Amino acid sequence: MVDVIKNTQIHCTYGCKSSKAVQPDVAGKMISKAKRPLFIVGSQILKDEELLKRSIEIAKKADLPVAATGHSMSGLVDQGINAKYINVHALATYLCDPNWTGLDGNGQYDTIVVLGHFKYYIDQVLSGLKSFSKIKSIAIEREYIQNATMSFGNITPAVHIEALDELIENL
Amino acid sequence: MSELTTGKFSMAISDLENVQITINNIVGAIEKEADEIDVEMGPTVKPGVSSLRDWDHNILDRYNPVYTPMCDQCCYCTFGPCDLSGNKEGACGINLEGHNAREFMLRVITGAAAHSGHGRHLLHHLIGLYGKDHPLDVGATNIIAPNVQLVTGVSPKTLGDLDSVLSYVEEQITQLLAAVHVGQEGAAIDFESKALHGGMIDHVGMEISDIAQISCLDFPKSDEEAPLADIGMGCLDSSKPTLIVIGHNVAAVTDIIDYMEDKGLNDKIELGGLCCTALDMTRYKTGDRTLPRAKVVGTLAKELKTIRSGIPDVIIVDEQCIRADVLKEASKLMIPVITTNDKVMYGLKDRSNDSIEDILEDLTTGKEKGALMFDYEKLGELAPRLTMMMSEIRKQKGIKRLPTDEELKELADSCVHCLKCEVACPNSLPISEAMTALSEGDLSNFELLHDKCIACGRCEYACPKDIDIVNVIEKSSQRVISEEVGKVRVGRGPISDPEIREEGVNLVLGTTPGIVALVGCSNYPDGTKDLFTIADEMLRRSYIVVVSGCSAMDLGMYKGEDGMTLYEKYPSRFKSGGLLNTGSCVSNAHITGAVIKVASIFAQKNISGNYEEIADYTLNRVGAVGVAWGAYSQKAASIGTGCSRLGIPVILGPHGSKYRRALIAKPYEEEKWKVYDARNGSEMQIPAAPDYLLTTAETVEEMMPMLAKSCIRPSDNNMGRMIKLTHYIELSQKYLGIMPEDWHKFVRTETDLPLAKREKLLKILEKEHGWEIDWKRKKILSGPAMKSDVSAQPTNLKRLCKEA
Ligand code: SF4
Ligand code: SF4
Ligand code: SF4
Repeated sequence: MVDVIKNTQIHCTYGCKSSKAVQPDVAGKMISKAKRPLFIVGSQILKDEELLKRSIEIAKKADLPVAATGHSMSGLVDQGINAKYINVHALATYLCDPNWTGLDGNGQYDTIVVLGHFKYYIDQVLSGLKSFSKIKSIAIEREYIQNATMSFGNITPAVHIEALDELIENL
Repeated sequence: MSELTTGKFSMAISDLENVQITINNIVGAIEKEADEIDVEMGPTVKPGVSSLRDWDHNILDRYNPVYTPMCDQCCYCTFGPCDLSGNKEGACGINLEGHNAREFMLRVITGAAAHSGHGRHLLHHLIGLYGKDHPLDVGATNIIAPNVQLVTGVSPKTLGDLDSVLSYVEEQITQLLAAVHVGQEGAAIDFESKALHGGMIDHVGMEISDIAQISCLDFPKSDEEAPLADIGMGCLDSSKPTLIVIGHNVAAVTDIIDYMEDKGLNDKIELGGLCCTALDMTRYKTGDRTLPRAKVVGTLAKELKTIRSGIPDVIIVDEQCIRADVLKEASKLMIPVITTNDKVMYGLKDRSNDSIEDILEDLTTGKEKGALMFDYEKLGELAPRLTMMMSEIRKQKGIKRLPTDEELKELADSCVHCLKCEVACPNSLPISEAMTALSEGDLSNFELLHDKCIACGRCEYACPKDIDIVNVIEKSSQRVISEEVGKVRVGRGPISDPEIREEGVNLVLGTTPGIVALVGCSNYPDGTKDLFTIADEMLRRSYIVVVSGCSAMDLGMYKGEDGMTLYEKYPSRFKSGGLLNTGSCVSNAHITGAVIKVASIFAQKNISGNYEEIADYTLNRVGAVGVAWGAYSQKAASIGTGCSRLGIPVILGPHGSKYRRALIAKPYEEEKWKVYDARNGSEMQIPAAPDYLLTTAETVEEMMPMLAKSCIRPSDNNMGRMIKLTHYIELSQKYLGIMPEDWHKFVRTETDLPLAKREKLLKILEKEHGWEIDWKRKKILSGPAMKSDVSAQPTNLKRLCKEA
């Protein structure tokens, strides 16, 4: 068991509401329980093969539809997962629109899981969702993402991989 | 602001001080009226804050404001701080949406004020030197100031003409700033309209600044063959006395260059610049294509590193993008700092009225760390002399610059890997890992990090071990820094009328796939090379690439496989496959100016006071897209927002999300993608492109296909659409590994399809999208959502339509 919640240090605050630190096993169970989950995978997964592998495994095991943002798609094609490219800023816009029917046309999502993003960028994107939508967001990055609903803390790359493995076990 | 009339003259005469000026203005106004008697004026001459509101609401209906707050609190007034999280209302009744729209608008007008404040200072200075009647001359163009003319209806001919237009700009900024006051506006959408107004006004302010300096300071004038300047931290010859200028306003520097030239000091002193002053220094006196007198060191991201290198012997600062700690940092290395503008004074004593000898004495002995100097003639002599003296003194004292190799190792060893620096770093750079590698003698991690580090210093004050991390990065990267040498084309100024005349038709029909404008600052997500990558790709594909400001600099830092920078490889002409540097930050106005001129010269539209119609024309017919990949300053927000109102989409790098708001459309809202056909007022369906007016992209790879798609316009002819679609598909395949999901939505007929792939694509259309194909004639029988009709006249404005 790795502990990913002890370091939730931040540089500056984004205001009144901050995310709750979450352990990998709990995050894994929550993802499995979500009714309309969406896995938002950013381009930073391409910088580390281990991370890319884990992203694909999470999508497969929990049967999550994947929104591939940035150019993460180039690592996700032909991997047997249901991934579609979308710009993350546009995605955040649609996620706040109750009339959006999702990437598959089946309706709006209730839970999003984010992995592989620049910290400052995903924090910004999530700050919109935090205030202008009801969607629950779970950040499983190696940094504490303040504007998510729940997030891992700041961890090293090695601990991050371990944490993702633990999360996968709990899916 | 309107021109003075005789009536006002009789009132003004009681104010005797102003008599001379007033008379000049009146004579000028009468002459101009005679000149312009036949000039058609549009409906919005010098629009006020609400004059273009209908247009704003028109575009905002499709391009929705999207808020990503930097903070869910507000602390604007003493009712607060208020918790606005969850879009709650604060004590004054504003909600988070409204407050963020207000915050965004404030960024925009801050940027606009920076440019127009710069313009005012410059204009005042230049009118003092050359007089109000000094003619404006920016090269081969009849439309000297397209933005000014579009917004105010004025076609300025002299420096004095710019004066009154600038007063209009200042009035608008004041009105907008007043709206920030607590209470009042509650509707986010009207803050948005005000932000768009501020953006438009910014382009007027920028244009005034640049045409004034082009006309007076012998800058290149719409010159396709402006010379090349050296760029890079590695291009400074540190064995010579070195004078570094930082900022944006060249007014103070011209006297220095003149003095150096007079005294034959050009070869004796290294004169380098950081940020846009550097670019404008290279433009000074290069109208005749002689070599620039100064070198460009780099952007804001290089400021701290340049100071810490210890190379500068004297630093001059003027205004805008200058680190606030220049004096503090420079003093540590015995580098005197001279401030020259009331926007930046660093608490220094005003020495404008003191003798040069006294100032030299105080600065060389270290009695004073710097001086404030408003007398530029004096500065012209003071700065070079001080540089020569300081160089000797600093050499003798053996000023300690970066750590030695041993100290470097010690620093790395002292790291306890607490990660505090990484949390503090705006780019979350992997410093801890690099320290481990450095301890083992491996510099490569830091070398990689160097290019991504913006030298902000946040890591240093987070470090519990007091490691000077910026110095560690810089020392470790000495090899790469010494190789940082490139070329940048000196800013050419506006695009000439003949260039527009030749290229306009290709742009509107789409046979030139689009204009990609690389603008803004250096806060990149993944290092400076991104810009080269973008420009290289788009130039190969025959887009017109226009650059300005810090982007223009960073682009010149890299060479292709052939050993050439892109500036050396591509012509600086406004044509398919051309690469043009318009100049510094204020030269961004020439990019919007070129688009306005396409409407005027190619489409023969009246532009005077006719903003809405020209913006509508641009949005529907001119395939142009702006990229502010490293946007950080408020000026980038205002430049981008000026583009938004004019119908030019802009993509920002991921840091741009911190401006708090984007304008993003929803392709799935079909009713939003209809316009009128001006021929008869009927509705026509258009493709969902551009699907934003301001947005961000995560990586350069993602942005590539976005760029191609953003240039698609309803007016494309079949050849044009085919070319644009080819690039969209190819770029998506190359960088994302997939066919774009929505490519078929841009197909109107089989002739829109890329020739080489036509058959294959027809098959996909049949199989995956259920289109009916006549295989014998290879024709599409049914399927497309819109018709191909090149003579259609798409417009968002009902008033421009002829009756059916
Ligand atoms: S301006 Fe309004 S929201 Fe802001 S602190 Fe004052 S009362 Fe609160
Ligand atoms: S903050 Fe200092 S001690 Fe901690 S990891 Fe960074 S460099 Fe090392
Ligand atoms: S100076 Fe460089 S490494 Fe340090 S926090 Fe700033 S960007 Fe990061």
